[in-house]
Amino acid sequence: MSDHKERLDQSLSALMDGEATDIELHRLLKEVSEGSELRDKWKRYHMVSSAIKGDAAIASIDYSAAISAAIDEEPAHRQSRLAVFAGSAGRFAIAASVALVAVFGVQQLNSPLDSVAPVSEFAGVEQVNEDNTGPAIQFPSGFQPIINARTVSAGGNNKSSQFVTPVIEVRQQVERNYSEAQLRAYMNDVMAKHSNHAALNSNQGMLPFARLNETEAAAKKE
Amino acid sequence: MVFLSLVRTIKVAALIAAVLLHGPLFAAQMESAHDLMSKMAKASRELNYQGLFTYEYRGNLTSVKLSHGVHDGQIYERIQHMDGAQRNALRRTDNVDCLRTGDMLLRGSAYKINDQSYARLEDFYEFHIKGEGRIANRRVVMVHVLPKDKHRYGYVVAIDKQSGLLLQSVLMSHAGKPLERFQFVDITIGSSMAELGFDPEAGDFAAVSLDQSNCMDDNRQITTSTSNWSTQWLPPGFVMASHKISDIDGQESMMFTDGLAVFSVFIDIDKARSLPAIDANLGATVAVLTKADINNQEYAICVVGEIPRATANQIASAISLASPASSSMSPLP
Repeated sequence: MSDHKERLDQSLSALMDGEATDIELHRLLKEVSEGSELRDKWKRYHMVSSAIKGDAAIASIDYSAAISAAIDEEPAHRQSRLAVFAGSAGRFAIAASVALVAVFGVQQLNSPLDSVAPVSEFAGVEQVNEDNTGPAIQFPSGFQPIINARTVSAGGNNKSSQFVTPVIEVRQQVERNYSEAQLRAYMNDVMAKHSNHAALNSNQGMLPFARLNETEAAAKKE
Repeated sequence: MVFLSLVRTIKVAALIAAVLLHGPLFAAQMESAHDLMSKMAKASRELNYQGLFTYEYRGNLTSVKLSHGVHDGQIYERIQHMDGAQRNALRRTDNVDCLRTGDMLLRGSAYKINDQSYARLEDFYEFHIKGEGRIANRRVVMVHVLPKDKHRYGYVVAIDKQSGLLLQSVLMSHAGKPLERFQFVDITIGSSMAELGFDPEAGDFAAVSLDQSNCMDDNRQITTSTSNWSTQWLPPGFVMASHKISDIDGQESMMFTDGLAVFSVFIDIDKARSLPAIDANLGATVAVLTKADINNQEYAICVVGEIPRATANQIASAISLASPASSSMSPLP
């Protein structure tokens, strides 16, 4: 029982945050219509919420009883044929506008970028490795292409460094017939050429040049 | 019964009308978003401006000073990294009117790649205007660019309302996560060459290599030299924008673009023996190096670009030594 209540409470706060699922919403509505405990809680939550937001009217006035009473007193209209049609058309008008909203809404939903606030989310971005089918060993930074060598910490995801050098992953364990310096030079070279290409053709002007990292410059100076 | 069916007919008719009424709205919106993008490409080349922008990826932030000026039909550009080691890049391109493949793809409606295929940006991206905002103290229009397939990433761009300059560009993964971000924090538009600190007579520009290859010619064609290498598979919409063979080490490089995304292919013979097969990442840029053994000759094939890794892998594995394909590009009539 208390478990059930706890879950309802969670659903309620999810609803307050606008994150409740359909099922949760149904369960809440059912519960609210049956008992007053949850309804009171719902009311309190709203009062707290408006108090926090600094809304002026936080007095607890319950209009719901008065509204139900007013509806009950309303004289029932005689159902004429015209009324049936008007009602039907009216319902349809609503249906049509819902359809419009749906068309529009789907258009919006289809865009995965809509839910994203790039500005605020940026700082915590993980490295995206969507289709990493490569080997288990990966060196987080600072070229470390020697597979059976030191652990990651030796080369260093050095937190004190402001710049991140390319993450390099050697695909097969091969006889080591290359040097780290060679590999670094090669990668820097192709990255630089690619940035130059991109600056000419990506329609972003010189922006791609910003992608060149610090080691690049060091390599160029030599 | 007749009455009910009449009601039903009206319902259906109204629904159809509602959908039809709404259709053109979307079309108009997409068209103007695309126009904005084309305007952006033009503005970023033809205007004088200087500013500071930040480049951000994986929680790293660097700031860069940019100056861009046009003088006597020549473009002068300077990039200065404001943090870390001293880094500057200076560039001069000969011709402000030089339209490259990327420009054509972004500006034009459809271009003929070869006899069978046409490239059209709208076939591969959706453009949505997402309202207005303010960046670098200027009013901007936000545009979402969504890829229609898994072979390219999407963008969130902010375009200056007044000048059409690109003030923010965020590369977005398919999951809707930002991969990298360029954003101006301050920009001055319309500065003179002196204000920009460019001296066209100065010697420092002499050292800057001119790159005016692969411009559109008078016949509205961009001609790239042909390569002995052929790409058996390319992500749809990508066309070759340049091809070069280095005089120094014989490295072949090819560059492909769909108008927004760019990737490069590098093929080395001599270096192959000294390089392992690797996967590398730098921010949103991936590099895939594979090795191919053809006629007892070992080649290193490297694909570098701001594209999904799976796409880069697929491209790399489909490159082979073969008879060259047609690589000239011309617009549709």
